[in-house]
Amino acid sequence: MTLWDIPAKKSALISGLDNSLVPAVMNRLLEMGLSDGQTVRCLRRSPLRGPLVVQIGDCVYTLEQSIADKVAISDLS
Amino acid sequence: MKNIILVGKPNSGKSLLFNQLTGMRQKVANFPGVTVELKSGKFGEYRLIDFPGAYSLSTLSRDEEIAVEKIHEAMHDDNTSLIVCNLDATRLERSLVFGLQVRDLAKQHGKALIFALNMIDEVERFSHHVDCEQLGKDLGVAVFPLSAKTLIGLHEFKVALNDIVKQPEKYIPTLSVAEGDSVFNVSRRIAKQYGIHADIVLRQQNRIDSFLLNNVLGGIAFFGIMFLLFQSIFTWATPLMDGVESIIGVLAQTATSAIGPGIINDFLQDALFGGFGSFLVFVPQIMVLTFIIGLLEDSGYLARAALICHKPLSYFGLSGRSFIPYLSGHACAIPAIMAARTIESPRKRLITMMTIPLMSCSARLPVYALLIAVLIPDTTYVGGLFSLQGTAFFVLYFLGIITALTVSVLLNKFTDRDSDKAEMPFILELPNYRLPHWKPLMLRVLTSAKQFIRRAGPVIFMVSVVIWFLGYFPSSEHELQGSYLAVIGQWIEPVFEPLGLDWRYGVAILVSFLAREVFVGALGTLFGIEGADENIAGLAANIQADGLTLGAGLGLLIFYVVALQCVATVATLKGETGSTKIAWGLFVGYGMLAYSLAFIVSNIF
Repeated sequence: MTLWDIPAKKSALISGLDNSLVPAVMNRLLEMGLSDGQTVRCLRRSPLRGPLVVQIGDCVYTLEQSIADKVAISDLS
Repeated sequence: MKNIILVGKPNSGKSLLFNQLTGMRQKVANFPGVTVELKSGKFGEYRLIDFPGAYSLSTLSRDEEIAVEKIHEAMHDDNTSLIVCNLDATRLERSLVFGLQVRDLAKQHGKALIFALNMIDEVERFSHHVDCEQLGKDLGVAVFPLSAKTLIGLHEFKVALNDIVKQPEKYIPTLSVAEGDSVFNVSRRIAKQYGIHADIVLRQQNRIDSFLLNNVLGGIAFFGIMFLLFQSIFTWATPLMDGVESIIGVLAQTATSAIGPGIINDFLQDALFGGFGSFLVFVPQIMVLTFIIGLLEDSGYLARAALICHKPLSYFGLSGRSFIPYLSGHACAIPAIMAARTIESPRKRLITMMTIPLMSCSARLPVYALLIAVLIPDTTYVGGLFSLQGTAFFVLYFLGIITALTVSVLLNKFTDRDSDKAEMPFILELPNYRLPHWKPLMLRVLTSAKQFIRRAGPVIFMVSVVIWFLGYFPSSEHELQGSYLAVIGQWIEPVFEPLGLDWRYGVAILVSFLAREVFVGALGTLFGIEGADENIAGLAANIQADGLTLGAGLGLLIFYVVALQCVATVATLKGETGSTKIAWGLFVGYGMLAYSLAFIVSNIF
């Protein structure tokens, strides 16, 4: 399951980043707090498969599908 | 003079802290080469420099790259006596990721560093207390809690700062991230220990978002805000523009009546007040637009607008981040092209920059205003709520946007897609909603006006003088028909004949390739009306009487929508894309496209 599959108003735990990510992007995601075991909460999804809005740590981010697809999650609640 | 450097992540109250420390006396310097804006001001006998915001020392986009380059430069500079890193108390974890990176760099270079824990009021509001002394010990860097907004702790910070810069060697960081540990882990640990719970500070932001990002209401709000923005350019700016116009009129009258008739009088009247004066009239419009865009930016809405636009814009090969440059492009292409630096994807950034010149910038307004007054009847409907002329304005703006999107699609299709592998994705932080701070905003508005005049002023002044000279001599009665300009005009007439335009329009178009706002002034001079620029309706009536056909007029309008007639924009494009070929290629390409479209339109109507 990836972050792109997370429904609105649900939380999950990050379980890994895809190795195909460009190092710069991978690093930025880690800096944003997308590391293993971190809780991520989906605040909303946009129509037409637009970017999703997530809360990670103390920040709110918006991510598009191409990136959310590469973040594995588990323990959906 | 020794420097104090202010760094920090964007949206963390850094600029406001800078303003509070330096007062309103600050200089904005455009550094040659990278033309990054660095604001500097005085703090006692030191120069305080506000560096552009950055999320991290490892960069994704060009604007971050520039910011980080500057930080590295400052680390090597002997004149850097202290670095102040601004942290956001409401987002401690995220600010510390950058803060700790800066700390390790400062330690490595033996530079003094302190942390300003800004926005402390927003966490204290929820009775959360941060033990800054202990936090400072854990970080190995002194931490000063303050709020640049409510001024809590600011006085103490200033006093401390004065003291610290005198003995910076005591403030060189002693700790760095341990081997095997990471900046992320340390930030998280410390934020957990000292920071406020995220849900509390994010509550307000999420509540507003549930309205402004709502699928239905959010869309309505977006269009409402955009409508207000364009409305304001026309309605709010009008009294200001009228004011400037009357001032120039009064000045012209005073000057010319004091001098008496003669060549100097003619020169002042036609070239200085007529030509250069007509350009100054548009300065208020630039200011109003800068004000509104600044308002949207400071409030935090622009990030939401980028999110809303991301998906629709991606169909045209653009990013949600292209929205902001496109929007500012309606004021002036130059700052807009620079704003495209925030787009992470190099390819999308390039396409955005290449299509920005198609946004109807405020320099096109006088041309639109004149030609619409000539061609479109002044009819209003529903008690003056909708006017035909107003609608025509809207159609022209819309046409510019449509052309830009079409060109984006084509550029996307026909350019090299190999670079897609290194494509940077759309990631954006949604900052908290905040009320704008008026003083810095007003300062920014004034700066935009100053920069506009400084950038375009000299060119327009020169063109006005040259046209006036060519139109005034050698005929002894100083008649246009016998002037040098008429000779040149007759020579270029065949080029403009297919568009249904005679040589006078040809000359006006030709000179407006330097800067399009010259068109009205040039045509005014050419139609031989004194003070044509102070009275657009007068010139419009004259053109009407002269018999400009509807087809030729509409063609001319389309021409101005598309053509890239601005030397300053070409220069900026060259600087930002790093390619002379792209910059001048666009100049020629859009010129040819404009000519072809004008030819088609003039032959249809």
